[in-house]
Amino acid sequence: MATYPMKLVTIVCEAYALDPVKSLLREVGAHGWTHFPVEGAGEGGERTGDIKEFANVQIEVVINPDAADTLLSRLEKELFSLYCMIAFESNVRVIRSGKF
Amino acid sequence: MEMFDAIQANLLSPAVLFFALGLIAAIAKSDLKFPEPLYVGLTIYLLVAIGFKGGVAIAEAGIAKVWLPAIAAMLLGAIIPLWTYPVLRVGGKFPAADAAAIAAHYGSVSAVTFIAATNYLKAIDLPFENYASAFLAVMESPAILVGVVIGKLAGKKAVDTSFIASIKSATHEAIFGRSIFLLVGSLIAGWLCGEPGMKKVEAFFVAPFQGVLALFLLDMGVVAGRRVGDLKKVGAFLLGFGILVPLINGTLGVLLGKLTGLSLGGATLLGVLSASASYIAAPAAIRISLPDANPTLYLTSALAITFPFNITLGIPIYLEIARLIYR
Repeated sequence: MATYPMKLVTIVCEAYALDPVKSLLREVGAHGWTHFPVEGAGEGGERTGDIKEFANVQIEVVINPDAADTLLSRLEKELFSLYCMIAFESNVRVIRSGKF
Repeated sequence: MEMFDAIQANLLSPAVLFFALGLIAAIAKSDLKFPEPLYVGLTIYLLVAIGFKGGVAIAEAGIAKVWLPAIAAMLLGAIIPLWTYPVLRVGGKFPAADAAAIAAHYGSVSAVTFIAATNYLKAIDLPFENYASAFLAVMESPAILVGVVIGKLAGKKAVDTSFIASIKSATHEAIFGRSIFLLVGSLIAGWLCGEPGMKKVEAFFVAPFQGVLALFLLDMGVVAGRRVGDLKKVGAFLLGFGILVPLINGTLGVLLGKLTGLSLGGATLLGVLSASASYIAAPAAIRISLPDANPTLYLTSALAITFPFNITLGIPIYLEIARLIYR
């Protein structure tokens, strides 16, 4: 079975950053993504997730390497200073390259 | 002595006792925690119930009685950020965005504080205008918009999106955010149905209300208690601000209630609304439209200082202030 190299970009951010991140994903050409509520702790203290103000989300998106580069640099430039957020990419292999 | 009795009567209500229980649970690091969806569910119930009840009361009383105090409430909501902003800038030495964000929270209102106050007035058999929840509905947004405009005009570093885009997102959040949307929607529904509609939903929205409120305040106690550690971060100025400013705004609200012809109970409620600080609608709008404001400052002061103060001591104090003014 043939598999194709792609990038998985993972973004963990405060719940209020979800909408700006989603519009950025659309702009860099992502076809789809998944997000789910998460809890944890970081520089800004504990994110208990008991109300939306203290909730975090994790967003995962599989995109081609060029788009991943654009996404990460735009995240850094446009959103990192405004919201609590981390982002990282990892290498993955997918079956249907046209889907991403 | 009167004041002491009034405070005692408030402290021994189920809602306040459960709030205290939640605070203790959080401070003692109990594993008690409500899941976020339950918090949202309880908020929806409370907002729909209070909105619907208020709408039915408007239908009974007629809009003629409601509009004048409602406009006064709206103006007061817009004015509060205008006077608290310079106090925060000059007295507290806060950056423009932080000062504007905090000012917006204090001009906007807390629905739960209002509900707790109506509960208290019922418990001590003091009549009030049931349509007062219309004031709650109209006071929520103006302050948020004023705060965002101040923050945008004063904030020199334009790191985020343009002025217009921020005002647009704040307006959208201030009008269509879940709390204001539900409240206004339910008010209109209640107004259209009137008393016959109320009879149909009474069993669900009226009888279990006290129990739901107690449960919600238990959750709020936990949420506020978890922020107690942040009190150290916000500093002494904001601590004093979170208690003194509600007392001043509360007095302004009562005076305005008297001027616009409300009863003693109604003016007390307008006082409570003016004194309360938003922690549902305002944080959501501010986080999106003034992202450089530090959320720890406005959330901690609204949630961990002013809200507990109002729920326990503030409400009976505003009533006593109203009694003095109505004497």
